[in-house]
This record gives sequence, C-alpha cells and structure tokens, in this order.
Amino acid sequence: MTGHLNIINQDWGRHLGNVSGALTLFFCLFALSGCAGTKQLAIDTTFPIPVIEKAPVRLGIFLDDTLVNYAHKETIDQSGTWEVQIGQAQTQLFTNLATGLFESYTFVSDNTVAPPMDGVLKPSITEVQFSVPAQTRSDYYEVWVRYEFELYDRSGNVIGNWKLPAYGKASKNNYGSSSNGLQAAAIAACRDAMAFFSINFSREPAVHKWIAAGKPSQPAPVMATESPAVESDGETSTTSQEGDSA
Amino acid sequence: MKPLLFFSTTLFFMIFLSGCVTSTVQQVRQTPTAMQEGDSIVVIGRRNRPSQAEAELDFIDCVGRTVGSGRDGVQVISEQAFMDAMFPWFEPRTAPLNTTDLPGLLTQPLLAERVREIGLKYLVWLEGSTKRVAQGGSLSCTITPGGGGCFGFLSWENDSSYEASIWDTHTAKTAGRISSDAAGTSYMPAIVVPIPLIARVQSSACSSLGDQLKLFVNNSS
Repeated sequence: MTGHLNIINQDWGRHLGNVSGALTLFFCLFALSGCAGTKQLAIDTTFPIPVIEKAPVRLGIFLDDTLVNYAHKETIDQSGTWEVQIGQAQTQLFTNLATGLFESYTFVSDNTVAPPMDGVLKPSITEVQFSVPAQTRSDYYEVWVRYEFELYDRSGNVIGNWKLPAYGKASKNNYGSSSNGLQAAAIAACRDAMAFFSINFSREPAVHKWIAAGKPSQPAPVMATESPAVESDGETSTTSQEGDSA
Repeated sequence: MKPLLFFSTTLFFMIFLSGCVTSTVQQVRQTPTAMQEGDSIVVIGRRNRPSQAEAELDFIDCVGRTVGSGRDGVQVISEQAFMDAMFPWFEPRTAPLNTTDLPGLLTQPLLAERVREIGLKYLVWLEGSTKRVAQGGSLSCTITPGGGGCFGFLSWENDSSYEASIWDTHTAKTAGRISSDAAGTSYMPAIVVPIPLIARVQSSACSSLGDQLKLFVNNSS
C-alpha cells in the first residue's frame, strides 16, 4: 500500500496571520516539543498476591531509597529518550509478594530486625534494559530487569544473596503507542520477577539451608572501632548459632 | 439536496459493502466433553516465548466473548482475571507447557482450591495471528485552500490462522484442538472520497473459532 499527501498552499505567509495559521503553528510546536522531551513511563498496575504455600519465615523487608526511586533512562535512535520509573512500583510489588509468600512481614528501615521476625530481605535492582520493535526488528517491546536479593539474619549478618533476572515483553500489535507497549513490557517483567521469586525463594540454597537450620541468628557484626579483644570475641562467637525462639 | 444524497450513498457503501472473507474451521476431538452447572472455561494466549504466532489480546477477548454469549453460552473467565487468580503459575515463564504438567501443578492445595473456587473445567490455549500477506495500488490525496480530494485504489489481503488447544483440568488430558483460518481482501477505491471496503478477516476467524469452541465444550459437535 502506498499513499502520499500533497499540500498545496501558494500563500503560506498570509495564513500565518489568521486563526488557522496560529493553530497550525501551535500544533507543530506542540508536536515538536513532544518529540524532543523525555518520555516518562510509570508502572501503573495492581500486582496479584501469589497463590502459593507460604514459606515458614517472618521477614522484615528493607526497601531502600535507591530501589523505590529507581528510574532507568535510555535514548533510542529515532524513538527519543525514555525514562521508566520502575522504582515506584516496588513497594506495592513487595507488599503483595510478601503477603502471599511469607508467614508475616513488616517493612523495616535497615537490615536488622527484632523478634519475632526471623530476618530481613533487601531487594535491589542492579540493571534495567529495554528495546523497542524498531531496534530488534521484531513485534515486541522487551524489558529486562536484574534484581539482587540479600537475606540477613536478625542481627544484620548476611545469610545469602542471589540474583534474579526478569523479562517482560509486549507485542506491538496489542498496544497503540510505544509508551503503552513499553509500560506493558515493564509490568510483565515485574510480574515475572514476582513469579520466579515466589516459586524459587524456599529453593534458594542459602535460604533453604537457613530455614532447615531453624533460622539461626548470629551476634551482630563487630564494629571496626571496637577493641581487638571485643573483635576476637565476635569472631569466636560466629561458630555458635542461636536457635530461633520465636 | 445533492450533498445529502452524496452523504447517504457514501454511508451506504461504508456500512453495507465489505470485502469477502473465506473461513475454515477444523476440529479434532480426543475425549468427550461436557459442561455442568458452575463450570467455567478460560481462553488464554500462549506467551512462553517471543513468537510471530502470539495471539492478539483483542482476539483472545473476542473469542472469550463469543463463547460466553448466546443461548448456549458458557461461563468464561477473562484472561487477566485468570492469570491474577492463579498467580504465579500461569505466567509466561511458569505456565505448564503440556497437559502432563497439570497433575503436578494441581497437587498444590492452594492452587487446587482456587481452581475449584472458580469452577475451571477447560483451559483453552490460543496461538496464531492475523497478518497482511499482500498489498497493492496507490492513493493520492490533495488539500488546497479551496478544498481537497483523493484519487486512486488500494487493496490488501489479510490472512488469519489460529489454533485452540483445549485442556480438561479434571482429567488432565487434551480434550481436542480447533483451528480457524480466514482470508480476505480489502479494497479502498477513492474518487474524491476514499471508500474503504474492509474484509473483516480477524473478526470472521474469531466468530468461527468461538462458535465452534462453544459447541465443542458443550459436546454438541
């Protein structure tokens, strides 16, 4: 199918003075400003609560400012600059995830927690990438998000950490604009992360071992400013494990 | 009077004329089917990998509405509601690929309970797409301060090909398969005003597939 539009206007300057000329100019300026600016994408959705057997843990969830304010900015040739506000969705995502997956949870402001909580989970996003159909010559908007999780015991000692790559795609046939397509792909990536985390949390070797051992909590890490004697005590005590009384 | 006549004629062409569509539906039944009171089905797209044959969301929605409508319509759960209700088990990366994966999935008490709650009897996986396979002609439009108009002729051919695989969640077996193919050519002649004669290919594939699916699950075919 071919088609073209011929615009014939022999006295363009005369029309700039009248209303239609002004409107045309306004429209052109508006369209140009839209192309030149950064396109902001928010993840506006409601995440589901996982239907899964709860892991036998009570966790504090530490969402730091870096995560909740995470935004990925990328410039794509002939498509402009995009900024995906992926951090905004993380509080709701982890609220619903924790509701379905853990015995109980609470949001905490650092990596330590008091009983009856067993430990602290700290998620972070380490990398985000996306692509549009024009780049990949496919029908899909695609988003990749790399999460990293750290699990701490009550005292803030690292029990384990693991990475979780998530992927989401959205077909251009289903979405009228690039913004909607990328937004759908970003939502799909977040759901993919939730799904994979839900199914594999208890299977993570470090988590599995920690739960099997009764979710022990070691003494708090020794501060660098303390005396060598105290430090020595701290090192010795790391071999003994405190059982979970909660 | 003349503009009114012209407008009426244009409207007549736009409403009553459309391109021709030929459609074919084929069905393979593997086990008997039946719907009881409270049973429901879900029509869901296969999205486990980037594929050219990923069914469009509006097509999936259309098939669901067709199956759920009419005197013999059955209860249909929307795709999004189903995926949320079953989360995380029917996401692209976690969805079962074969019926043999279903029994293992349904050993999970919470999931089995949720399936019972929504009365899910049949799970219909949809694959396929509608593509433009040929196009030709040219159309030129001109706008001047004194008016404007178009002249030319365009044509394009669309081809739809979809397949539905019906899983019985009670027996954990494939109950059957239905394929729906449709093809049609759309035209757009233009003498001053373009008059689109659209072949509703995807719509035809949807109604054929939906109607056949309804007959299939009711064991009427």
